[in-house]
Amino acid sequence: MQTKEFKIRWGMVIDIDKCTGCGACMVGCQVENNIAPMTKSDPYNYVQALTKPRDDASNKLRTLTWMNVYELSNGKAFPEHETAYLPRPCMQCGSPACVPVCPVVATDKNEEGGIVSQIYPRCIGCRYCMAACPYHARYFNWWDPLWPEGMDKGLSPSTSVRPRGVVEKCSFCHSRYLQAKDKARMDGEDPMNLPEGAYTTACADICPTKAITFGDLNNPEHKVHELSKSPHAFRLLEKLGLHPQVYYMSEREWVRKQGDNYNAEAGGHH
Amino acid sequence: MSVARRTFIQLGAGATVGILFTPTVWKALDDVSIWTQNWPWIPKLKYGAVEAKPTVSKMCESGCAVKVRTVAGEPFGTMGNEDNPISGGGICPLCANGVQVKNSPNRIKAPMLDGQEITWEKAQEVVAEKLAAAGSKVAVISGDQTGTANEVFSALLADKGSDAFYMMPCDMQAADKAWTGLMGGSGQVGYDLEGADLVLLAGADALESWGPTVANLKSFAANESGKFIFAGPMQTKTASVTSLWVPVPAEGMAAFTLGIAYYVLQAGKTVDTADFGQFKAMVMSEYSPAKVEAATGVKADRMADLAKQLLTASNPVVVPAGPVAAHGAAFALNLLLGGAMKALPEFGKAIPSAMSRSEMLKADILEGVDTDLLFIYEANPAYALPEKVKAGFTVAFDVVQTETTATANLVLPSLHPYERFDDLASPYGLAAATYSLGAPVCKPSVDAISAATFILGLADLGFESFEEVLGAKAEAVGADMEALQGGEAFVAEGETPAAASLAANVLGKAAVPVKGTGAVGLAPYTLLNVGTANQATTPNAPCTISNNQLVGDHMVVMMGSATAKQLGVSVGSKVKLSGGKGDCEALVQIFEGVMPGVVAAPLGLGHTVGDEFSKGKGDNVYKILTVSSEAAAGASTWAGSTVNVAKI
Repeated sequence: MQTKEFKIRWGMVIDIDKCTGCGACMVGCQVENNIAPMTKSDPYNYVQALTKPRDDASNKLRTLTWMNVYELSNGKAFPEHETAYLPRPCMQCGSPACVPVCPVVATDKNEEGGIVSQIYPRCIGCRYCMAACPYHARYFNWWDPLWPEGMDKGLSPSTSVRPRGVVEKCSFCHSRYLQAKDKARMDGEDPMNLPEGAYTTACADICPTKAITFGDLNNPEHKVHELSKSPHAFRLLEKLGLHPQVYYMSEREWVRKQGDNYNAEAGGHH
Repeated sequence: MSVARRTFIQLGAGATVGILFTPTVWKALDDVSIWTQNWPWIPKLKYGAVEAKPTVSKMCESGCAVKVRTVAGEPFGTMGNEDNPISGGGICPLCANGVQVKNSPNRIKAPMLDGQEITWEKAQEVVAEKLAAAGSKVAVISGDQTGTANEVFSALLADKGSDAFYMMPCDMQAADKAWTGLMGGSGQVGYDLEGADLVLLAGADALESWGPTVANLKSFAANESGKFIFAGPMQTKTASVTSLWVPVPAEGMAAFTLGIAYYVLQAGKTVDTADFGQFKAMVMSEYSPAKVEAATGVKADRMADLAKQLLTASNPVVVPAGPVAAHGAAFALNLLLGGAMKALPEFGKAIPSAMSRSEMLKADILEGVDTDLLFIYEANPAYALPEKVKAGFTVAFDVVQTETTATANLVLPSLHPYERFDDLASPYGLAAATYSLGAPVCKPSVDAISAATFILGLADLGFESFEEVLGAKAEAVGADMEALQGGEAFVAEGETPAAASLAANVLGKAAVPVKGTGAVGLAPYTLLNVGTANQATTPNAPCTISNNQLVGDHMVVMMGSATAKQLGVSVGSKVKLSGGKGDCEALVQIFEGVMPGVVAAPLGLGHTVGDEFSKGKGDNVYKILTVSSEAAAGASTWAGSTVNVAKI
């Protein structure tokens, strides 16, 4: 499949050697994007006796976490053991596997900085995209998003709430991009040439170690442009040829190898 | 009119072809698809002006400097405050969910006396009556390490002739007991993590829950040339990003530190204190590397290498955690090295009769509290110290319902940090004395008032409201009120520390590792997304808790494969951990980053009261901690707790 090229290519460089897996990015993402805290009870279900109880956040197969943090291990026994944490948003692939499989064209990669979009009202919940995504970055809404009484007062104005039955994913906080472009227009600046920091995602914003750097990979004035070319930079499952717009960095070789699902016996990759 | 079969088929085919070419059907299908997602119970968004208002959040132990994002005046999110050095733009996972806690149905909505709702006037009357009857048998337990609210409570105690002010157990307390108590130092100890070129975190999981976590993380990120090393019984999240993890049992941390000091002394380093000679003799004879290796299992070569690195660094620092002895040993080593440990000046008091911070840290809650009238301010001793606290009448101030509010006689709802005036004065661990102020960013959601203002109504302490107290505090600090309210912090640089003594007598005895009698060592650890002793996990955090801490409703404990083999358990085994005065149930996970003979268990789970996000999740590890006496240091500690593990 041919990689789609755009003038602007929003991307991230995540420094794994700085990530402590604290979870702040996950919480920040949920708050920004109105991902409901998972609740067991459903006050709107009038036939509860006939239906299964809802899952809470303990069931990781049914959680909605557009940003997820994985724990990596070098697999060695004490005392040679090492561990690392890998935050995983949507990779916003250059050749997204999720796009061609969608029967209703609910997902697409377009000029919006190369961000892979997801049109929730159009999604019919078939989950082909979830099956196609090798990064498990798409999530199905198993349960209606319900906030316990009073908590729906604190909804973010940025992202509409998605109902049960659709597939969701990280959009690099796309609403923030729209806001940044609007602001640039109002300030008489070029919305197609935003300076570093004018648009950033909630996870990058909140990260206490600034392990996540966000910017335009095509723009030499943005840090990510240079960082993505670091000798320690790599992309997840690069051998699949999906050209993710999320790069990772680590000085630890075992981390880089795991990032590409390295198979030494098969001769590695190029 | 009759319709022939052929005509019918022709019409049917024509209609089918027509449907394919008309957009009406496809548009209708599209509309149906949209409308099937438009259920009335799916919340609608609120629109309006979006603002970011600076304030302080007190949900984690040291507090975060934040900006609360509001839409049409209603808070919806929290972000870090870049203008404040405590934050640098970042926040912790607890404070990141502050708005969701503010709006939680778990908020205490009105004053409750023995389970019955009462008015604030009645509450004032009841407390005034109990206060008069209690005389000087009044005590306070505070879960707030940084706020001037503590001055109000301690001034009330002073007014009643009591000095029974207790902090929930914290590293700041152990540090103060070691520094001002044993070593005659002045000021509050801080660590310049950003300026140091070598940081040895001796038990301090500084990058996940120790001290001012967000400021630590920010310093770690900003420190491009420095090297961080973590020593402790398990490979924590902090250890995942440091250059090196040195496995050291928790009860052996003081001895390990003195083992390093041995080499530093051998290299000729000195400190100008009266007992230096005695200290040197004590370390050289009692804490030789061979002896420390025998007592802790840490190889002498490893300690020699660490000492070499510390000696060659130009600005090293050792950051301790745990018992008083571990702090004393680290302070002595820092004084020998002359690196990036700082002594912070204490800010002036707003209320003259209030205790100083150091005085507030003197009473040892682990020795037990027994009083007639007890005020509990935003702390949860019924969860973390269930056996330790007894009182004739308990008044609990809190934002949300907890185990403590469930058992208190009188429960008084506190304003949420985003609804009140509050402050953060020098969170423990910072290299500079820092003062930040928070003002309300929204109206109260419930019938709550400021706890400190309530206390001011009980005695004549010279102020009518807590806001006035904070005005006086800012003046005593010497800070500009307008800048503080704008989110900036007042900063006074820390100084080079000086101590009168190295506490040679005490450290010689207190640093000896003392372990319980259980089969395996217990390494309790705190993760902010799981919760702290005072704050349960927040609504959006449960999905961030990994399977190494919680699976379903079951707590997970981690151990190395050698330990699992020794105990006859494997991944997923259900076990009972017995220790202290209780036991816990857990599932086993193998994690090779835990020392052999040690089981690591997360603190903060197992709530019996609270919201659906925390209640009934996992088990409470505080039940199986054993309090042991640091007799020589005159303190109590949980370090050295052990447990017996039985498969069930």
